[in-house]
Amino acid sequence: MRDVAIIGVGSTVFGKLPERLVRDMGSEAVWAAINDANVSPKEIEFAYCSTTFGGAVCGERILTEVGISGIEVVNVENACAGGATAFRGVWNAIASGLYDIGLVVGVESMTTSPIARKLIPPEAGDLAGDMGNNMPAHFALSMRRHMEIYGTTLEQFAKVSVKNHHNGCLNPYSQYKKELSIEEILNSRMICDPITLLQCCPNTDGAAAAILCPISIARKYTPKPIIVAASILKMGDYASRWEDMASSDLSSRCAREAYEMAGCGPEDIDVCECHDAFAYSELSHYEELGFCGYGEGGQLIDVGATEITGRIPVNPSGGLLSRGHPVSATGVEQVAEIVWHLRDEAGKRQVAGARVGLAHTMGGEVAGLEAGACAIHILKR
Amino acid sequence: MKRQKTPLREGLFTQDVGGAALLASRCNICGQVFFPRRERCLDCPNQDMESVLLRGTCRLYTFTIVNMPTEHYDPPYAIGWVEFPEGVRVFGQIKGWEKQPLKIGMNMELVIDTLWEEEDKEIIGYKFGPLSEDDKR
Repeated sequence: MRDVAIIGVGSTVFGKLPERLVRDMGSEAVWAAINDANVSPKEIEFAYCSTTFGGAVCGERILTEVGISGIEVVNVENACAGGATAFRGVWNAIASGLYDIGLVVGVESMTTSPIARKLIPPEAGDLAGDMGNNMPAHFALSMRRHMEIYGTTLEQFAKVSVKNHHNGCLNPYSQYKKELSIEEILNSRMICDPITLLQCCPNTDGAAAAILCPISIARKYTPKPIIVAASILKMGDYASRWEDMASSDLSSRCAREAYEMAGCGPEDIDVCECHDAFAYSELSHYEELGFCGYGEGGQLIDVGATEITGRIPVNPSGGLLSRGHPVSATGVEQVAEIVWHLRDEAGKRQVAGARVGLAHTMGGEVAGLEAGACAIHILKR
Repeated sequence: MKRQKTPLREGLFTQDVGGAALLASRCNICGQVFFPRRERCLDCPNQDMESVLLRGTCRLYTFTIVNMPTEHYDPPYAIGWVEFPEGVRVFGQIKGWEKQPLKIGMNMELVIDTLWEEEDKEIIGYKFGPLSEDDKR
């Protein structure tokens, strides 16, 4: 396998943008990545596009807007892990030597999707869905286990949302630029006890893109190539083997494999973007990604270790909670965010001296499985 | 018009003289119990499975009160996971949660109950309810 580098990234500003077409947002992100990589559209040899609600041949529709035609295009759906899945597809095809220059774009218009202003529904015939399960409930059930076993408090979970909304104020791409207090978060509308509205990620529209090539030719395009040191994607295990619902076994397993592939450990990570679909999720991911021991997530947020100036900054972008969550774009946006930090281009939210970053996404719910999918990428400068 | 009682799915549960029970299956090689029933073991791919009934007291593993509508249910309603002594966790609705506070670890019983009603059908499924102090004796 060849070493692969990211030579360009781009993003739209995230938000509720029902007037924007999927292909407009997608092509804006692609143009930004092309300009960033200083590459000609004619040099792009293949592309992956991830979308959940963007419709058929979404990648082809986007590429017609940027002067690219006649190449291989793969459209990917893997729920919230779709963006990371598509990124991995591009990495894989370049690492294996099939192609040299590839593009990934993730795009979603949640506000015009069939589930706008609603929850992502379980699939028809899903037994847990028929029994009344839904996405926030799934995480509320885990959150209550975490509180029961480890004594984690509501305030500690709320602090995740406080931190990420603060970070979102510093990120020009973020959906929300609004500081929130612990009280506002805990007193917001109850969704699934103990998860309140301001502990949930919003509906978001947006797109992100990245361009990759072998490290051997990367310096032709950029003085600051970012190396893909690990790429891991796995489906969840049977829920019957789930050790305890307080934590995601799938995240832990993917993290172990990612660290092994990258030849580093959690102590080497300088910046992390993780899948904070709910405030609880980020706190448990601290533990699963090895930033602290199991049950110590509450203490980690209490001491400010995951703030931008902390020992292990998590979600400096604002995360899904504040930057927003255009489902299939999120995984690509996380990569773009890590790249900006590793190139020292993240502006007001810059993590000083970041050399190694980790992006983590989880996606989908399947009755009988712990989770649908999890993807982790480790990037190095 | 009288609504026809219709099980949510065939092969999930039964009610006999011994009371309500969930229809599970156990692998005769590795011992893993599956609910809903499986024709093949998902751990080792063998087909040597026996039927098991999950019944009697189980324990509340975790729960939440849902405060937003979902396809078949108006809020608020309670859902959660219970653990059976056979080592199986089962997801379902929780009945009677308004009457006493729910607590992880509390004893629960399986009940067969209406899940929701449609024009001409009453969809029947299983739920779990806290065991009262009297029932425990």
